[in-house]
Amino acid sequence: MTAAIHLDAVNHWFAQFHALKDISLTVEAGEYVTLLGPSGCGKTTLLSVLGGFVDPAKGTVRIGDREMTHVPPAHRPTTTMFQDYALFPHMSLRDNVAFGLRMAGMARAQRNRKAEVQLALVGLADAGRKRPHELSGGQRQRVALARALAVEPEVLLLDEPLGALDLKLRRAMQDELKAIQRQVGTTFVHVTHDQEEAMAIADRIVVMNAGRIEDHGPPTRIYRQPATLFAADFMGEMNHIPARLTGSGAETPFGPLAHAQGGSGPAVACLRPEAIHLGAGTFNLGQVRVRDAAFFGTHVRAHLVPEAAADLLIVAHLPADSLPAPGEMLTLCTEPDAFCVFAEEA
Amino acid sequence: MIRLLPWLYLLAAFAFIYLPVGALVLFSFQDGALPVPPFNGPSLHWYADVLRDDRLTGALGHSLIVALGSSAVATILGFLAAYGLARHILPGSAAIRALLIAPLTVSYLIVGLGLLIVLTRAGSGLSLATAAIGHVVINLPLAFAIIYASMGAQQQNAERAARDLGAGEAQVVLLITVPMLAPALAAAFFLSVTLSWDEFIIAFLLTRFDVTLPVEIWSMLRSGLSPRLNAIGSLVFLVSVTVVLILELLVFRKRRA
Repeated sequence: MTAAIHLDAVNHWFAQFHALKDISLTVEAGEYVTLLGPSGCGKTTLLSVLGGFVDPAKGTVRIGDREMTHVPPAHRPTTTMFQDYALFPHMSLRDNVAFGLRMAGMARAQRNRKAEVQLALVGLADAGRKRPHELSGGQRQRVALARALAVEPEVLLLDEPLGALDLKLRRAMQDELKAIQRQVGTTFVHVTHDQEEAMAIADRIVVMNAGRIEDHGPPTRIYRQPATLFAADFMGEMNHIPARLTGSGAETPFGPLAHAQGGSGPAVACLRPEAIHLGAGTFNLGQVRVRDAAFFGTHVRAHLVPEAAADLLIVAHLPADSLPAPGEMLTLCTEPDAFCVFAEEA
Repeated sequence: MIRLLPWLYLLAAFAFIYLPVGALVLFSFQDGALPVPPFNGPSLHWYADVLRDDRLTGALGHSLIVALGSSAVATILGFLAAYGLARHILPGSAAIRALLIAPLTVSYLIVGLGLLIVLTRAGSGLSLATAAIGHVVINLPLAFAIIYASMGAQQQNAERAARDLGAGEAQVVLLITVPMLAPALAAAFFLSVTLSWDEFIIAFLLTRFDVTLPVEIWSMLRSGLSPRLNAIGSLVFLVSVTVVLILELLVFRKRRA
């Protein structure tokens, strides 16, 4: 089962703190969306609004065709996979997974059968009799997923589900979550502060900051053409190059950029470290002096001081086959399209 | 010699604690009319005597009923209070908590006297039920404190998950909260049982015709020492020890695992 979500002008306050500011968002049925942002940005509050754990002060929440703004969690077509998994320690895994079905009034034999199917889906086929404390973190996480999916929700909400796992397991579980989502077709809304996780897993990323949506769209678009400076910085490392908007383009220390939006005044031109190449090209950065460089396996990460702007320090990912020495001079280039220009906020 | 000192100290401390109980139990097996040295050899005479005495076995039964009944009520009330205070934001909840725990500091004599005055004014007679009410008054703060202290975020998250999966409030409490709190509930219950079991002052003030065992022992004491008293004391001690052992095995062993 699957359903679309429509949020319209949702606002929420915790005492004086404005946690959600005019959130309007549509999630398509069957989509995998991540809410990405730093801690305190409101992403978990937004997830709680979707799950029914927080009653928003203003605005409406619709899931499928139904108005759900003030409906309690038990009566929503959503289930949540909690950050600490919140498994029931006094029940076997099978009873954990079957709990939602039991609440729905399904007979014991039938719900046990269904629970076994769900456990098999997450790779715990023969573990139904075990208790949660006998499992590893990754396995508990799978049980939590099976339990949330067993009731066939239209929307599954995941609150930092991979936060407690080590890096290797986290990457493996990302792939698995994505595969399971494709298999069951349910709409997934996944909260995370890890932009790599968000890019690896999501059809669409919603970047949040200070209670607002900064940007939303497919991972490649958000990474390459972020809508705001915050989104640009949050999605990965960015070089900030001071610039000035000139109405028809932008003036940078390395020359004019034609494509920038209108307006005038101070601005920031952003450039990803991996968009910088050796040699000459369509947009030249000129000569740079190497301050230091380190080998990272897939690339060499270098701090560089350009001749054109001696007070600037640029980070670039250079080919891994040679390690430049400090003091060495290099010639660098990039493409005009690789820049994102944002007007400086007053 | 220096290394032996800690062991000697340990031995002395335990002797100090257990010698009275040991003497009591030893002379309950006295073959003779006086529970004083010399020990004349083991005999179960006094135990047979005690178990034949209807007044004593009746008092023993009364004590059990009062202990189990008052502890069950204290545990249920303590749980409800703890659940309410831990899960809901109430006006003045700190003051409510303090008021719930405050009776711990009031002496049993004051609690008993107060209840005696109130009950006689209210015109209700004294009985085992009134003694049980007294025991609920003294055990409720303890039960509340034990249960409240063990209500943590873990249960709260599990309760939230249960609601999310469609459970109603009653189902959340019965299927999630109570089973997860079982160790604390058991600890509160068994501790209340041991305290109620040998409580004397309140039982003495609030019973009349049917009395609990400590009150019965008190009235026997007035007719002088006898190995019967040792025998009944040993039985009381045996019950207390059993309850403590159950507590240890069921509650604390499990928690360690």
